[in-house]
Amino acid sequence: MTKNPNTKIKTIGIPSEEEIRQAQIDFSPRCSSAGRVNDKETQKMVRYILDFARKHSLFVLAYGTGCGAIEIPATMTSRYDAERFGIRGAATPRQADVLLITGYLSTKTLKRVIRVYEQMQDPKYVIAFGSCTINGGMYFDSYNTINALDRYLPVDVYIAGCMPRPESVIKGFVKLQELIQNGNAGNGECYRKNLDWYRENQQKVIKNWNFPDEYNW
Amino acid sequence: MNNIIQKINQTFTLKAKQKNENQLRVDVDKNLVSSVLLYLKTQLGFIHLNHISCVDWIEDNEFELVYIVWDPENKITVLVHTRIDRSNPVMENIDTIWDQANTYEREMREMFGIEFPGLVGAKEFILEDWQEIPPMRKDFDTAAYAEKTYQKRPGRENARDVREELMKRTGEELPDFAKKYSRD
Repeated sequence: MTKNPNTKIKTIGIPSEEEIRQAQIDFSPRCSSAGRVNDKETQKMVRYILDFARKHSLFVLAYGTGCGAIEIPATMTSRYDAERFGIRGAATPRQADVLLITGYLSTKTLKRVIRVYEQMQDPKYVIAFGSCTINGGMYFDSYNTINALDRYLPVDVYIAGCMPRPESVIKGFVKLQELIQNGNAGNGECYRKNLDWYRENQQKVIKNWNFPDEYNW
Repeated sequence: MNNIIQKINQTFTLKAKQKNENQLRVDVDKNLVSSVLLYLKTQLGFIHLNHISCVDWIEDNEFELVYIVWDPENKITVLVHTRIDRSNPVMENIDTIWDQANTYEREMREMFGIEFPGLVGAKEFILEDWQEIPPMRKDFDTAAYAEKTYQKRPGRENARDVREELMKRTGEELPDFAKKYSRD
């Protein structure tokens, strides 16, 4: 049996620096562009395919914050059937792409929502649902609900209405898909870049960042 | 109905009044409340506590507590009213009569600042890290607090009609039929 002459003969022992570097490049292709096609056309194509795949599998975190959550079962089930668009539920924030803020947010809930948002992995999108998230809605002078959501979290799409019907919800998701395809959606980076500004606003409302004991496991 | 009124009046020398065809109102002194409620529960069959509500009479410097109890057999409600001092609000804890009173008492403790000696779970209930005076008291200015704490979106600072705001921005004329709905 003849050996392939191109195969290097590997010695058992401590690998050299060159070998470690090569192994890292092989193992994590994103860290390096060595030996890969990296012209703009290819990047564009890869980008297009990635965005196309992302926009057709939007996993929505099953977390209803306000009364608007009552429209979500109707949107998901057979009459409006949001799964036609690739929209479906996800059980935990780490598996979800979309955080749907359904309705008013009390300051107590906002604290949890921020924690959930920061757990989600990039690319992540936020849809603000109902007029309460836009300007407070009917709770504009309440002592315990926030008025404008985008001061505390970056928002991709707003859906107006009190409450929006399933058609509007689907319209909002289609708009989000459009934004994803154009490369305008995804706000994790924006949040990280402007974290100081967001934190400052959040701290005006949330006095104490410690969670009750039953949350910290 | 008359029978119940008579029994209450005779036992406690009170003046129970009929409000509706199935509603009674009794005004009771603060110290007598638990005895009246226990009597209603054990002797007259008002076995269910519907609700305990609280009214802030800021002009009289008093809180009014209303205990709403219900007799499921005869379908009669009794409202037991009592007034307590507002500057030092302490009320007797009745969770030995009804366990569910605990929830209402915790809520009143948080929203009005009424203390119930011996209350189980006397810590924060619905609100979290609340640092102002209890929010359901009438001297708490909700709108001012909301304005101070939560920033309004520019253009919607006051509750003006949306049509007028749009008219100002776009320069369109507001049709006559829409003017009568505007608030200014």
